[in-house]
Amino acid sequence: MSGWFCPEVCLVFSGVGLILADSLLPEGKKGWIPGVALGLSFAILVLTLGQSGQPMPSSWQNLFLTDGLSSVFKPFFVLCLLGVTLISIRTPMEREERVRAEWIALPFFPTAGLCLLVSAHDFLAIFVALELVAISLYLLAAFQRTRATSLEAGMKLLVMGGLSTGFLVMGIAWLYAAAGSTEFSKILVEQAGRPASLPFLFAVGLILTGLAFKVAAVPFHAWAPDVYEGAPTSTTAFLAVASKAAGFVLLVRIFGFGAFALDSVAVVYRPVMLTLGIATVTLGTLAALPQRNLKRYLAYSGIAHAGYMLLALGTLGEAGMGTVVGYLWAYLLSAFPVLIFIQEMERIHGSADVRHLEGLGQKDPAVAVGLTLCFLSMAGLPPLLGFAAKLSVLTTLWSAGEIPGLVVGVVMAVVGLGFYLVPVRAMYWEREADAVPAKRFPSFLVWILLGAGLAQLVLGLQPRPLVRLVERSLAPATTAVSNEK
Amino acid sequence: MSLTWTLPALLGLPLIGVLAISLGAAPRRTASVVSFLNLIPGFLAFGVVLREGDLLFGGEASFIREVFPVQFRLGLDGLSMALVGLTLVVTLSAMGVAQAQVKRAKEYYICLLLVGLGGLGAFLSLDLFYFFSFHEVALIPSFLLIGIWGQGDRTGAAWRMTLYLMLGSLVLLVGLIGLVWAAPETARSLDWRILGETLRANPIPGAQQTWLAALLLVGFGTLVSLVPFHSWAPGGYASAPAPAAMLHAGVLKKFGLYGLLRLALPLTPMGWKELSWLVGLMLAGNILYLGLAALAQRDFRWLLGFSSAMHMGTIFLGLIGGTVLGLGGALLLMVGHGLSAALGFAVAGEIGNRLGTTWMQDLGGLAKRAPKLWFYLMIAGMASIGLPGLANFSGEILIFFGAWSAHPVLVGIAAWGVVLSSVAMLRAIRSISTGPVPANLAAKEVTDLMGAKEVWPMALLTFLLLAIGLVPNLILGPARPVLERILQP
Repeated sequence: MSGWFCPEVCLVFSGVGLILADSLLPEGKKGWIPGVALGLSFAILVLTLGQSGQPMPSSWQNLFLTDGLSSVFKPFFVLCLLGVTLISIRTPMEREERVRAEWIALPFFPTAGLCLLVSAHDFLAIFVALELVAISLYLLAAFQRTRATSLEAGMKLLVMGGLSTGFLVMGIAWLYAAAGSTEFSKILVEQAGRPASLPFLFAVGLILTGLAFKVAAVPFHAWAPDVYEGAPTSTTAFLAVASKAAGFVLLVRIFGFGAFALDSVAVVYRPVMLTLGIATVTLGTLAALPQRNLKRYLAYSGIAHAGYMLLALGTLGEAGMGTVVGYLWAYLLSAFPVLIFIQEMERIHGSADVRHLEGLGQKDPAVAVGLTLCFLSMAGLPPLLGFAAKLSVLTTLWSAGEIPGLVVGVVMAVVGLGFYLVPVRAMYWEREADAVPAKRFPSFLVWILLGAGLAQLVLGLQPRPLVRLVERSLAPATTAVSNEK
Repeated sequence: MSLTWTLPALLGLPLIGVLAISLGAAPRRTASVVSFLNLIPGFLAFGVVLREGDLLFGGEASFIREVFPVQFRLGLDGLSMALVGLTLVVTLSAMGVAQAQVKRAKEYYICLLLVGLGGLGAFLSLDLFYFFSFHEVALIPSFLLIGIWGQGDRTGAAWRMTLYLMLGSLVLLVGLIGLVWAAPETARSLDWRILGETLRANPIPGAQQTWLAALLLVGFGTLVSLVPFHSWAPGGYASAPAPAAMLHAGVLKKFGLYGLLRLALPLTPMGWKELSWLVGLMLAGNILYLGLAALAQRDFRWLLGFSSAMHMGTIFLGLIGGTVLGLGGALLLMVGHGLSAALGFAVAGEIGNRLGTTWMQDLGGLAKRAPKLWFYLMIAGMASIGLPGLANFSGEILIFFGAWSAHPVLVGIAAWGVVLSSVAMLRAIRSISTGPVPANLAAKEVTDLMGAKEVWPMALLTFLLLAIGLVPNLILGPARPVLERILQP
């Protein structure tokens, strides 16, 4: 029985339960479903934190394992779910009001998929988990059927997601042909100490391409801005933070510990990943400069962040892997509050245009301070959390001797400050407050943003907790690995 | 009595001020009171340093081999004492000069307090992570100060300054990473004292030193507005509101010089020697090019901005002189320049408030119309051109003597710099004090500085300029052992 009470199972049952409740309950008694969903996601978060490190159900252990990385990221995804549920509840609906419960219940399934994804150690398991995530996300992106932009976002996500899945499956097929297995440890043992065959390297390339779509790395990024802008904000949040993080966790797992942690792969793919990183940072940063819609803006900022993580990852050392883990947490803590804010802004102003921020510094100083700290943290300004993350990337690149990546990283961090200051400037000096109609934000948002801002500051001044997390994520699997025969 | 609490108190009081103001305390009064109260821990800490030597807050190192070994540690010695003192005084007088009626006073004073806090924290931090971070704390408040309350091309000036400083900071950051990574892996530390000992015991190989010195030079140099990385400075200062310009030109700019003294000079001595021709070229640029540019200015604020950036060249000359005399002169000039630049911008701010302009052709006859204001203008101008008796003179003369043996040509150039700056400043003073009152402004009532309330910030700066000018040992005495240590191989 042990292990069946794990986050994945709870998430799936919660999602199904919510949908069933919606269809079985009489009309007029469904009002408590959003509250229950929020409570459930919080309970699962507590459960996940409490159980971290506990082994997966024994019958799953051929495909899924619990190790440091998975136990650090399951709470990450469930935390995302909590935020997404909060945003979903606040999303205004038109014709879809009838199916609000589905709207709220749906994110539970991709979250379960992500939790499975980070503990998978077999490519087939990865494929299954990824599809669970992807299909739910297609639904979510196109959920607001009356809005053309939402439909467009869903369509684009579907086509691009399908394409990336195609690459991934093709890669897995080639991998099986070349290495005779899809299981990480077997591939590792099989390939260790001998030169990689061409089909094997080709398979690695295909899989890398598939994952590059997921993390929106240049040149596979083009879907991100349109989808982020068009999709409902809760879906944007899921894509921008959870889905991107999952892609990186997979990259860390595959290239850092599993399957492709081979010298023969590193020789070929280290320069490839660093080049991807340089291109991604550069394009993401430069393309973010002219953006005036906060969702598009976050899309490009996310691309730039992905670039930094790819640069760290591309060094293919333990330091790089740890950096990505820390960077993802820092990104979660700074980007998610902004996304929650965007939802509220859309509620009030009807769009996510940056000009709605004007005068906010005087109208609602607490919100403005929280947002400012989040944006500056994303810009990597000390003493905020984002600085610790950027510092870690730069340090990794320096110690690996990757000077081109370092130079690009530094220059783009400066250019990045240029666009992260755009909303700050709008909030504080673009217009005086009396020129802007006063609209109050709900008080929970004030507390979330103030808390987030404080977290940036406290963790930035004393990043120890994050460092612990990174150290834990690099720990090996906690179960007796029965399947490595 | 150890009094180690005074160091965190120095940082805590401004923070308390920021919190109090954001919770609704009267902005101007709170900021002034906090800046004044901050003198108390300051004096206590100075007392300890003078009597017993260095004052430290925070434990010794025991973190080697951790992934991210930052540790919040503060320290004060004879060198940082001078700069901490400068920060405290300039912050206090900036609060005194800040206008009572300013739009959005809350944010204004919070930003000012944060800028001062950034300077203090940087000078007090022993850990490089915090050393760097505190300096950056001042970046965004400065951006807002210029952007919201500035004058002239405030938007452009704010962006230029912020992005330039960010670029400088990041280059510097790479240099710092390099320094830390140059130490053997088992002895890596972010505490600059420990790092210094380690790198003295295991010097960095020559070529690498040159690279690191170059990174530090460009990084710190940008923050100090060394030519060709200077173009953010004059415009930024000209556009900033007076207290912000005082804090920035007076205090924050010294961060770069302090960093060079603390890190670049002692840890990469060979690289520094290797690059001295380049530094020489750049500082000559500061002195001659910015000196000539200062001559061409018609706006008093811009003149101050250029002459402030120009004097950085002289300070750099002291740094590459390779003698304790030169370093001492550089430190003296840092303090003197901090005080005189602050005084200059304070006067310019008062003039701007009263006349609505700082164009020098519009300021004629000020000596008659507002004699007290004119007096402090004279002091600032005379200090800046190096009149004996004021702090800047002692600094410059020591630099010239200290650098003579190593760089006689540069000393010659720097002497011409004194001439240029004298011409520029004296011309300005002549047209401001004795020129004709312009017709369009003749009818305008010009009130002089009224009562002690308006006079004390400038009187305080003037008093210190005189005191340090007459008794340079106030600064040099405590700093001397530290400076000697810098030059020891």
